[in-house]
Amino acid sequence: MSNFREAQNQAHPNKTSTLMVALIVVLILNVSIQIWLLYTALNNALNENVDIAFPAFLASLGLFLVGFGWLYFMPGIIRNKKVKYR
Amino acid sequence: MATNNKDNQWKVDFPIQQLDATQVSRRDFAKFLCLVSGGLAVGSGYVAAKANFFPAEKVQGEHFVCKKDELPQGGTKSFVIPGSTIPYVLIRTEKDDFRAYEQKCTHLSCAVFYMPKSGKIECPCHNGWFDALTGEVLAGPPPRPLPRLDVIFKGDDIYVREFETSPKTL
Repeated sequence: MSNFREAQNQAHPNKTSTLMVALIVVLILNVSIQIWLLYTALNNALNENVDIAFPAFLASLGLFLVGFGWLYFMPGIIRNKKVKYR
Repeated sequence: MATNNKDNQWKVDFPIQQLDATQVSRRDFAKFLCLVSGGLAVGSGYVAAKANFFPAEKVQGEHFVCKKDELPQGGTKSFVIPGSTIPYVLIRTEKDDFRAYEQKCTHLSCAVFYMPKSGKIECPCHNGWFDALTGEVLAGPPPRPLPRLDVIFKGDDIYVREFETSPKTL
């Protein structure tokens, strides 16, 4: 029985390209939110508002796990027929 | 030229097709983003652990700085509390108020200076300004007020101790 990964690896290069871009956009979005969380947590911790640091860490960890799981959908390397040059 | 068929030696040295090379690059970029994401999560964890379990040490007790007559109106004196490396500055304003602050800008830790006759403390690095009476940010990039010490007098001697903040209002 085929699964999503097998089907995706057989997809047309145009589709894999679109998937790749979507994947990178979401990862960049995650990283941007994490930078904001870290900046906010640090500034508040230095201002003696320590209550924000732990929820910010949990949110950041959650975003990392989402991004890590997201890599499952990364298209495989396109394999073409091997060309003999000699 | 690279596509010249007369010399295809480079294809043996670098046997990756253009299309594959593009894919590898973007795959690596996505993995790198994930690595950065993990780094940021670890950084947030460090901040949370440091803030909750290893808070900054407070100034213990009272520390002598100088005598009153050593500091003219509008003058300042830098000092360090024994056992610490944090630089502080004692300010005597033109209206005869005494204030002590950490001499590190809350933006990027540059040294801050009292601007005589202005009632303001300046950070010359990025043009940040603080109120000399409260330490609050008046202008520029600093995100927080200057950490402050309480100034107390014993006769002519000036002492500093941990600043006691008023209860927070919600």
